[in-house]
Amino acid sequence: MPFGRRNVLLALLAIGVIVPAFANGYQLFVCNLVAIYILLAIGLNILVGYAGQLAFANAAMFGIGAYATGLLQVHLGWPFWAAFPSGGLIAAAVGTLLALPALRMSGLYLALSTLAFAQATQWVFLHWENVTFGAGGFKTPPLSFAPLPVDKPVGLYYLSLVLVVLLYFFGRHVVTSRIGRAFVAVRDSEVAAESLGIDLLRYKALAFGISGFYAGVAGGLYSALLNFVAPEGYDLFQMIIQKSTIVVGGLGSIAGSVIGASIIILVLELLREVKGMQEIAFGALLVGFVLFMRGGLITVLRRYVRGWEEPLRMTPRDPTGALPQSEARPSAADK
Amino acid sequence: MGQRLSGAAVLLAAAFAASAATAQAPGVTADTIKIGTFGALTGPGYLYGKLPMNGVEVVFDEINRAGGINGRKLQLVREDDRCDPTAAIGAVKKLVEQDQVFAIIGGGCSNATFAAKDTLEASKVPTLIFASVHDGITIPPAANIFSTATTSTIESQAQLAYAVEQGAKKIAIVSMRDSWGRARYTPLIEAFKAKNIKPVADEELSPDANDATAQVLRLKAAGADAVLLLLYPKPAAIFIRDAQKLGFKPLSLGQTGIADPAAFEEQVGVPGATANFRTISQVRYTPEDPKMDKWRKLVEAKFPGDRLSVYNLFGIGSAEVLVEALKRAGKDLTREKMTDALANLKDVNTEVYAAPITCSATDHRCNKGPAWMAKEPGGPIKVLGFTVVGQ
Amino acid sequence: MLLFSYLLMSGVTTGALYALVALGIVVVNKATGVINFAQGEFFMFTGFVGWMLHVQFGMNYPLSFLLAVAVGFVLGMLTDRIAFRPIAKSDIVSLVLATVGIGFILKGLARVIWGGKADYLSFPPITSPDPIMVGPVMVIPQQLAVLAGTVIIMLVFAAFFRLTRAGKMMQATADNSRAALLVGIRTDRIYTLAFGTGAAIAAAAAVLTAPLTLLYPDIGFAFFLKGFAAAVLGGLTSLPGAVLGGLIVGVAESLAGGYIHSSVMELSPFLVIMVVLVLRPSGLLSFRKARRI
Repeated sequence: MPFGRRNVLLALLAIGVIVPAFANGYQLFVCNLVAIYILLAIGLNILVGYAGQLAFANAAMFGIGAYATGLLQVHLGWPFWAAFPSGGLIAAAVGTLLALPALRMSGLYLALSTLAFAQATQWVFLHWENVTFGAGGFKTPPLSFAPLPVDKPVGLYYLSLVLVVLLYFFGRHVVTSRIGRAFVAVRDSEVAAESLGIDLLRYKALAFGISGFYAGVAGGLYSALLNFVAPEGYDLFQMIIQKSTIVVGGLGSIAGSVIGASIIILVLELLREVKGMQEIAFGALLVGFVLFMRGGLITVLRRYVRGWEEPLRMTPRDPTGALPQSEARPSAADK
Repeated sequence: MGQRLSGAAVLLAAAFAASAATAQAPGVTADTIKIGTFGALTGPGYLYGKLPMNGVEVVFDEINRAGGINGRKLQLVREDDRCDPTAAIGAVKKLVEQDQVFAIIGGGCSNATFAAKDTLEASKVPTLIFASVHDGITIPPAANIFSTATTSTIESQAQLAYAVEQGAKKIAIVSMRDSWGRARYTPLIEAFKAKNIKPVADEELSPDANDATAQVLRLKAAGADAVLLLLYPKPAAIFIRDAQKLGFKPLSLGQTGIADPAAFEEQVGVPGATANFRTISQVRYTPEDPKMDKWRKLVEAKFPGDRLSVYNLFGIGSAEVLVEALKRAGKDLTREKMTDALANLKDVNTEVYAAPITCSATDHRCNKGPAWMAKEPGGPIKVLGFTVVGQ
Repeated sequence: MLLFSYLLMSGVTTGALYALVALGIVVVNKATGVINFAQGEFFMFTGFVGWMLHVQFGMNYPLSFLLAVAVGFVLGMLTDRIAFRPIAKSDIVSLVLATVGIGFILKGLARVIWGGKADYLSFPPITSPDPIMVGPVMVIPQQLAVLAGTVIIMLVFAAFFRLTRAGKMMQATADNSRAALLVGIRTDRIYTLAFGTGAAIAAAAAVLTAPLTLLYPDIGFAFFLKGFAAAVLGGLTSLPGAVLGGLIVGVAESLAGGYIHSSVMELSPFLVIMVVLVLRPSGLLSFRKARRI
């Protein structure tokens, strides 16, 4: 099998490993961003692509992870190595709580209530000044990888890369296990899933919690990359970037998340060349991707790369079934 | 992954290109100097990014038309930061490591520029900030970062000093809770403490607000006789409009964000409402001033459809300062000489700033003389004077 | 009591702005089941078009208004053709992203075309600019014009859905698109009509409210967010619901600002939304039909 999904991903990983050897500071920074967005995309894809929850709070979770990691260091004097995992867990806990409204509603109603939650989180970042330092944000303590013989940018890059590999396999494991099948059942029909004995609360909580954890870990890395945390980074534009990574890569595919995140971040950087026209170009690219790569890049790869196999083909067939709505009416066009 | 591979190819190519650079200082050739600029080209912050950049570009064109500086033409490389801290760091890293610019002029949104400060400082590239007002950018001073924007402390102190001077007894604050608003709010509260007075009311207004009735009523109930507005023109216009509607007419003081009283009168839209409005400007003239005719023609010719704005003027003033420093740095340009030249600027007069520009080794806030302006409803704009603040 | 009257009045006049945006969102959603995330940008772009015709080219107000509405209608139809019809069977995340993409394009275009003209463009009001007394409170006449416009648009479209053939076909498509297709309704035309109408409403809203809100390239998103909130509160498919939702959001902001503190104004509508949706998961004016299985 000359190509195959595994080999392609291994090749990508090999490139990832040798990047610091030839990249300048700017290129390494961008590659680190790519790694962070891969984590975000995998987490979001588990929630949206597999469990079918149309949530808009991932940017807020990302922010909670970044703030928690930063603030635990600044206020309590924790070392990064303790604050960082705690940030991931705190985001996972908050994410789990979000499953409560998701139990009562779905589709666009869930979208708006999670959007409201995200706006409320922004409000807290801005107003809880004694703790969050408000709109001005705060600098995080410098990070050192001593006694390892690497400087901070390279060390952080490899830390991000290791986490990408670990959490890629964790994500793969989740979606191919019983849990993943339960997510898909919930996505395709909540009533049917319940009748199969799937506990909706438990699985929705799991999906929100897992995606919160990924976002929180990504947030911790992000705070260390920037050495700075401020509310601007976790707004709705951030949410749109994250949503586009999973749509471009392919909903319901972990490998697609990796590819989608890489493409979107590199495209955003390449668009620097169309000075002042980025908004127009980015908008056109979004429309173009949705129009011409339906099902995401993963669908294209599956068609053209020999031996590409996706575990459990999970791209939803029926648009309305993907995200069940509470009302009995078809929500997209039938022609 | 084709993308990823071609990305790698780009990376490799760039690495070779970098090693081929000559012995000249980075960004300098026999007949060109490459200057970088970063700020928001897109998103709401473009007012403080793209528009000053347009001003910078017009100044550079004028210099180039006259033969350049020591025979070298100026090139401007723009990078977008979308007002986002991450994108600002990316933009600066790209300017320094990939575009290899000699010096940087730029910086629109406060938080974005503040986030990029460490990267700028480490790069040692001489940098002049044209619009960001966050104090943290210039205090404590980084050896290579200077600012021609009147920083937030300077303007906030000037606002309070002016209100007290005018005999106000009950002073209130209306502010935006974004990074721009907070950068001004924090030093303002400190200035209140230093004068041992307390604001009688402290209200918030969103940048997108469409109604300020609640805020006006609360200020009115507190009996405020002066209001310090830490607001962009839109929410400020809404506030002044609703104050007029409710018969509340305190002395209202704006800052550089509302530097054009004529445009502001039109934005408020209710006749007579701006009678008690005064504002600060870091530039001496409004775009309508006949003294700005030269720049108006140049900007409107280069960017068809645009109208000269105060945001263009920020860039024009800053670019003039940069050009002056480039001239003083001499023919054998190095970044060290350029940084020295910036640090030793003294009483440099520009065509737009209110006060002469003076930097020093210990104070990199080079513009400390904001001008006070007012416009009688229907009348001409008057420059009321300058408040020179700080040490 | 006077305080309350003032806050209520300002809440209602601001709420009317949100309601206008919500009406456009509801008309599109009613027929297609999609939320048009570019609705705010339609509002912004057509507002600029109205400004260009009326202020820059000196065209009279009614004509500028009608032309802006026509431009809105065309923009909406184009959006349907480009970013909805070819992918109508895709998942909802893709549909949402396509409209987000359209929104980015419009915002970028507006910044290039009008962004250098002024930070915030002002638009002359159709009424006298001086405040007038209404009962115990002072109001800016343009605010009453907006309120009247909101009610008129709501009534016109409520009548349209009940009384006209096209409206009935839209309603039928909304209720069950497959059945509508079976009885011979060209549902694809209905979708085009819905997108066009939604954008035309945005244009009417923009030209009507621009004297109060000023125009700038980034005005759309804040309005979209509040309009979306209003539409969901009202149940997403109900026109009176959208207006009610808009008023609730506006009044919640105003009362929170007046009685608690202005710093909670921005938070209040989102708290209201979370509470309402937990209690009534499909909005205030929507009656739960059978669950889809």
